[in-house]
Amino acid sequence: MANLVDKAITHKLSRRSFLGLSAGAVAAVALPGCGLQKVDAEKAAELSQKEGEWITAACWHNCGGRCLNKAYVVDGVVLRQKTDDTHPDSPDFPQQRGCARGRSHRKMVLGADRLKYPMKRKNWEPGGGKKELRGKDEWVRITWDEALDIMASELKRVKEKYGNAGFFAPAGGSGGGMEPQRLLNAYGGCTERWGNVSWGSWPDVYSTVTGLPNNGASSGNDRFRLRDSKLIILWGANPAQSSQGLPTYNYLQAKKAGAKFIVIDPLYTESARTLGDEWIPVRPATDTTLLLGMAHHIITNNLLDQKFLDNCTIGFDADHMPEGADPKENFKDYVLGTYDGTPKTAEWASKICGVSAEIIQKFAQEYATTKPAAIISGGAPARINNGEHLPHAMMTLAYMTGNVGIPGAGVSPNMHNSATNAGPALVQPGGNGIPKVNNPIAQNRINSGEMWDAVLNGQFTESKGKKIDVNIQMIWNWFSHTLNQRAGATRGIEAHKKVEFAVAQNLFLTTDARYSDLVLPVTSQWERLGGLLTGNREILIYHTQVIKPLFEAKSDMWIVTEIAKRLGVDTKIVNPISEEQQLYNAIAGAKVIKADGSDYEKLVTMTAEDIQELGAKGTPQTGRISYQEFKEKGIYQVPRSRGDKLEFTSFEDFLADPVGKKLATPSGKFEIYCDSLSKKIEKIGFSTKSPIPKYDPPLEGYEDGLKDGYNFQIVTIHYYRRSHSTLDNVPWLREAFPQEFWMNASDAANLGIKNNDIVKVTSRHGTVIRPAYVTERIMPGVVALGEGAWVEMDEQAGVDKAGSTGILNGHIATGQGHSGYNSCNVKVEKYDKPLEPDVKWPQRIIF
Amino acid sequence: MAQLGFYYDMTICTSCKVCQIACSDKNDLEVGTLFRKVHNFEGGKFPKPWAYNLSMACNHCAEPKCTKNCPTGALYKREKDGIVMFDEEKCIGCKLCTWSCPYGAPKYIESKGKSGKCNFCVDLIDAGEQPACVDACQMRALEFGDIEELRKKYGNTADIKGLPESGITHPSITITPNKEAMK
Repeated sequence: MANLVDKAITHKLSRRSFLGLSAGAVAAVALPGCGLQKVDAEKAAELSQKEGEWITAACWHNCGGRCLNKAYVVDGVVLRQKTDDTHPDSPDFPQQRGCARGRSHRKMVLGADRLKYPMKRKNWEPGGGKKELRGKDEWVRITWDEALDIMASELKRVKEKYGNAGFFAPAGGSGGGMEPQRLLNAYGGCTERWGNVSWGSWPDVYSTVTGLPNNGASSGNDRFRLRDSKLIILWGANPAQSSQGLPTYNYLQAKKAGAKFIVIDPLYTESARTLGDEWIPVRPATDTTLLLGMAHHIITNNLLDQKFLDNCTIGFDADHMPEGADPKENFKDYVLGTYDGTPKTAEWASKICGVSAEIIQKFAQEYATTKPAAIISGGAPARINNGEHLPHAMMTLAYMTGNVGIPGAGVSPNMHNSATNAGPALVQPGGNGIPKVNNPIAQNRINSGEMWDAVLNGQFTESKGKKIDVNIQMIWNWFSHTLNQRAGATRGIEAHKKVEFAVAQNLFLTTDARYSDLVLPVTSQWERLGGLLTGNREILIYHTQVIKPLFEAKSDMWIVTEIAKRLGVDTKIVNPISEEQQLYNAIAGAKVIKADGSDYEKLVTMTAEDIQELGAKGTPQTGRISYQEFKEKGIYQVPRSRGDKLEFTSFEDFLADPVGKKLATPSGKFEIYCDSLSKKIEKIGFSTKSPIPKYDPPLEGYEDGLKDGYNFQIVTIHYYRRSHSTLDNVPWLREAFPQEFWMNASDAANLGIKNNDIVKVTSRHGTVIRPAYVTERIMPGVVALGEGAWVEMDEQAGVDKAGSTGILNGHIATGQGHSGYNSCNVKVEKYDKPLEPDVKWPQRIIF
Repeated sequence: MAQLGFYYDMTICTSCKVCQIACSDKNDLEVGTLFRKVHNFEGGKFPKPWAYNLSMACNHCAEPKCTKNCPTGALYKREKDGIVMFDEEKCIGCKLCTWSCPYGAPKYIESKGKSGKCNFCVDLIDAGEQPACVDACQMRALEFGDIEELRKKYGNTADIKGLPESGITHPSITITPNKEAMK
């Protein structure tokens, strides 16, 4: 074939004519219409002569970031990728550069392990058919007609026999409005799942204490205001891993501008290493004691911002209690131990949280005497059972020092897409125009922490003291990899083996799919028309179709529409608007903020020709950029500069006028005594919480481990290899990130464990095996494992070889019904059998 | 002759490995072959651990051993900018380069029966672009350019713990090291 290196030397290739093939490349790539196949040297040479096209490719995952991803396509073959080069890069106007996962997307979308055809479990028959073989039965390829007929007949059968409540749609959350749910709702409804999994106990606490109708993730400072901070405390936040893209780079700019960083985390993370001036390791699920110990120091050393407390809060001391509340139930007296006899001193806290009293006092002193100082938390510390006290205590600490509402200060879980860039979206898509289909039996909602038990035992908690019977006989999996990703996967597998019918639609044989009877291959976003993606507040991405659908993969909407026809459900309800029209609606309705911040204006100018090109109906309009520019660049990024009118700090208005601009809380102030929170938790019915923040040891927290003989606390970390569970199967990423089990060197030595030894990790709920990463970068008594690995059960040994943390986490419902992934106790021992590195495992290729 | 080289700021690298993956994408590498790899080092004792990362590809040395020992001329230095080039057609798969390079940059690729290595994304450079790894870096910890200019800007540190003595091949790289990485 042509020697591309020589070509490159002798010809100055234009950007568009450059081809990313290395000489002699023979790789599995997709050819149009015929799926995955090897391209031989001759074909590669032919492609090398052709002009290709850079297409903005969706990078659509729930990764905690959002970046620009482009694919270079020649003749329908994806040859390489790149990231944002639509404008020169600078700290103030940075490119939206993607991560290792985004850059290896083509290896996922075009992976040899893509599901290619509909298939059913060999021993499946209506009503189940050797249900115990789920997860290990053979697969039989079937036609779409057969697959759709099975779906229709099973839906009819289950509905007739058990009623609509017999259908369980566990995706819930952001997957709840999606296609299968539309069909189920139009067919009479289904049982749903509820309960936040990402934000820990923040949402209900943040919203009731501040009166803001959100979970706090987009609260704090925008990236410019962060540079005003003198002290930034990353409390259980590791943006380097959890929010890739710009956040760590943005923090670096704050550091260069003079901010000191203190990182609180049981792990010496890459965020701690690159940003941290100090690292304070703390035991998981005990942070509340650290906060209370700091509060004690601040109170007893007269470091309070009393003016802030008096003007802006309620419940701090006996003189500032809401009407009707017991004056003894104030926060100050709780901390001082006035009535319970236990002062929450640094020494008291130290015994529980593992941070020395001296460090607690020094840290408290520094925080209380530095303004502006920001506490920025991730979801992780609050991702614990009955964890509502933790965010409440954290917020209270900030109120005590007046570190809220001034540029560079703040307290919030500013994370995920909004990390380092708090504030309202500056550019946003329009709606797609699809009306919601309501679930006629919407009261049938089961919490994540009870759903598998409900399948197995036939009962769930509707609210305090109210249990509802339910008989679930069909599980329809899509979108969120629920079986793998929710706590209690061990129970989930049992539940999947119990029901009469389980179906999954997916790109791969994920855990959900593996334990199903029927598996339907779906197209990825690269194979669909296109769409808009939001990320940090300054960007809107327009991705378009990269390749044709692979093999027999179909869109989710096609699948449910075909099933609807067989069920006699009106397809106009399920599938009311064409893909083209939806995309047009989103683009035409996109808005961008005016430079003075006063209002939004239309983003995209659309001519009649543009609308026609999209295949939609609409009226031409004028906006800030042309449709063609938006499509060509694939992104719009709002121009920003230091001092512009778009900078943001939460609660600036309130601080300026606490009387005139009251918060939307019952008191109009920040509620350190928060009765509405207490009542809300009580009503949900899983556990209770006092109106003020206290230390209430979390279920399966540090104390329970000591009591029950589980010597280690495990934390589940967002892992570089994947976005939750997505991309876990990509060989390049498996090679780069081996899913190692973190443990402290002294703990390992005590157990005779050396680096890379295979260890067995057992919780009350399940067992996994993994290679040990023996390190000084983690606190003794704490171990860590990346969340999201695809369960790979060794049924004989009763262990999950992949190290899926869902297997270890308990199926537990507490507090606001959030998932408590970081309160979990385990035992660790050396395992007596070898384990091949993940990268050497065979891919899950069925056909 | 100008010599192109890399600058790497170890202190801000988060070991996200996007450079490694972008390199594998650009060069269409299979698992088992990495032209750029992020290495991890650590030590100390809890609660005072230390750690640093090291992203390494070919250092396009001023006096490379690989070009000297290549029997077929498949490896050679490009006159105008000192890039260590690789001509796959001339490679006979003798592996001498893999044994010669103190940095382990050339890789033997079993499926081809030939070597391969980072060529500084010469095609991109010639098209006025940056190497894939530099363009990819989320922390902007990697730069490329005239190595003399980079040394003026960032100092001349190519001798760090974990790397061979720079006097052997005079690598075209300068690094801002963590203090634990300093020799």
